[in-house]
Amino acid sequence: MLKLIRLEWKKNRIGKYICKAVIMTAIITLMIAAMAGELESVETMTAYGTSMMTASVNLFVNMAYIIMTGVMLSIFIVGAYEKKTIHLMFSYPISRKKILASKMLAVWIFNVAAMIASKTFVCAVLLLVRPLLGIDAAGIAFGAPDFWLDMVLGSAAMVSISYIALPVGLLMKSSKATIVAAVVITFMTQGNIGSATLVNNVPFYGMLLVIAAWAAFLSVHRVEVRDLP
Amino acid sequence: MQNILETHQLTKTINKKDLVKNVDIHVRKGEIYGFLGPNGAGKTTVMKMVTNLWKPTSGTVELFGETLTPTSYAVLKRMGSIIEFPQFYDHMSGQENLQLHCEYMGYCMPGCVEESLALLGLSDAAGKKVKEYSLGMRQRLGIARAVLCRPELLVLDEPTNGLDPAGMKQLRDLFRRLCVEYGMTIVISSHILTEVESIADTIGIIHHGIMREEISMKEISERNTEYIELAAADLTRAAYVLNEQLHLRNFKVFDGEHIRIYDGGVTTGDLTRALTQQGVEILAIGRKSERLEDYFLNLTREE
Repeated sequence: MLKLIRLEWKKNRIGKYICKAVIMTAIITLMIAAMAGELESVETMTAYGTSMMTASVNLFVNMAYIIMTGVMLSIFIVGAYEKKTIHLMFSYPISRKKILASKMLAVWIFNVAAMIASKTFVCAVLLLVRPLLGIDAAGIAFGAPDFWLDMVLGSAAMVSISYIALPVGLLMKSSKATIVAAVVITFMTQGNIGSATLVNNVPFYGMLLVIAAWAAFLSVHRVEVRDLP
Repeated sequence: MQNILETHQLTKTINKKDLVKNVDIHVRKGEIYGFLGPNGAGKTTVMKMVTNLWKPTSGTVELFGETLTPTSYAVLKRMGSIIEFPQFYDHMSGQENLQLHCEYMGYCMPGCVEESLALLGLSDAAGKKVKEYSLGMRQRLGIARAVLCRPELLVLDEPTNGLDPAGMKQLRDLFRRLCVEYGMTIVISSHILTEVESIADTIGIIHHGIMREEISMKEISERNTEYIELAAADLTRAAYVLNEQLHLRNFKVFDGEHIRIYDGGVTTGDLTRALTQQGVEILAIGRKSERLEDYFLNLTREE
């Protein structure tokens, strides 16, 4: 499986996505640093977390990576069906389920790792520039195990939820539909109407995770007996 | 000789329409099998089922003596294929695509990528991105990939698409070489008779999803010669007369209603006399000549 994941990264040029993640992280860092003063005065931001800074970091990074996961799923999996390279993949002496699982894992591992790295980087920069900008960065506690646990679990959950977009793209046979579905998921999970938001709503996230697991299952279910288009 | 590929009553139905019905194919080890039929006859459908991309509605595919199931992955290691147009990772070079193929196939023979590229005359374009390849070059790269891991069975669906006459000739020579030197069994589908008739050992003809004929080239060469076709009330007795009275050996009972006599030294007059003397009622007799192309067209002619 590890070899298959490595090959997925190789043929899809993972370096390109690393560059995108770096640029995205830099933009988010600059944006949060620039808006730091404003954010602290925005009342609705309190709904996103107890600490204003960690809440804003989570918000922007989550949004970016849910869409990024959707884009990568559209290229790694839906695009393979569209461009018919999946025909080639299914002509190899490897289980079809294993092939699809390796594609899904390649996207998942990359995005979870990149998301954690991005959040860590943005928090570290905010911590460094805190005295200059006068930011209250109390929520950024690198020394606290809970901080890391929250970050890892939160990142894994967000990337996993993005997989709801996968069967949408596969059913509609469209990469664009996958990305649009990812954008909708972003608004559903990260958006707000006034002070009303579903962010940090544990039952809602739990439900989405169950749907995401079902979506991943659907994407590989009966793949062995399905005819290729 | 052992059959490497067989299909038994292979049927594929989509939306209540039979794309192919009860197709029986027998491909012997080490031969080149030409799978002929007009466009839309069902060649690609059969090829897809043979390579396990599509699952039969009914019937079976037997590869290397084993019945193909949805989870028969091991046999795919012994096969190389091109179905419809070969697909590549266009942003990668031809060489990178082949190296990737080796990794997925678990095949590591040093120099095999370069050798395959050279075999198809693509050495100079090895480092070029596939998106810059012409249609003919893509087709040749597809064949280079199909033969890369030295498969025992090569399944090629319209492999000469996009090739110029020189390229077609080069491929025909290559297929014969792969068959002789590497012992590969090759199944080539085509709607162009001349493309396969010079290299195929056996030809299968499909039309409207139904297998019309499976015939060896040896038999076809017999059919290329003139023959006398005879229809008699009692074929068994007629065959006896031909054998015992006229000492003919090169004849055969065809479709249960006719006898075809390929011996050149006998005339319709000789036959009529001998059969009449022995009390065999002749229903029809005549000298016929049929070229392979006519034969193919007759089989695939619209009723």
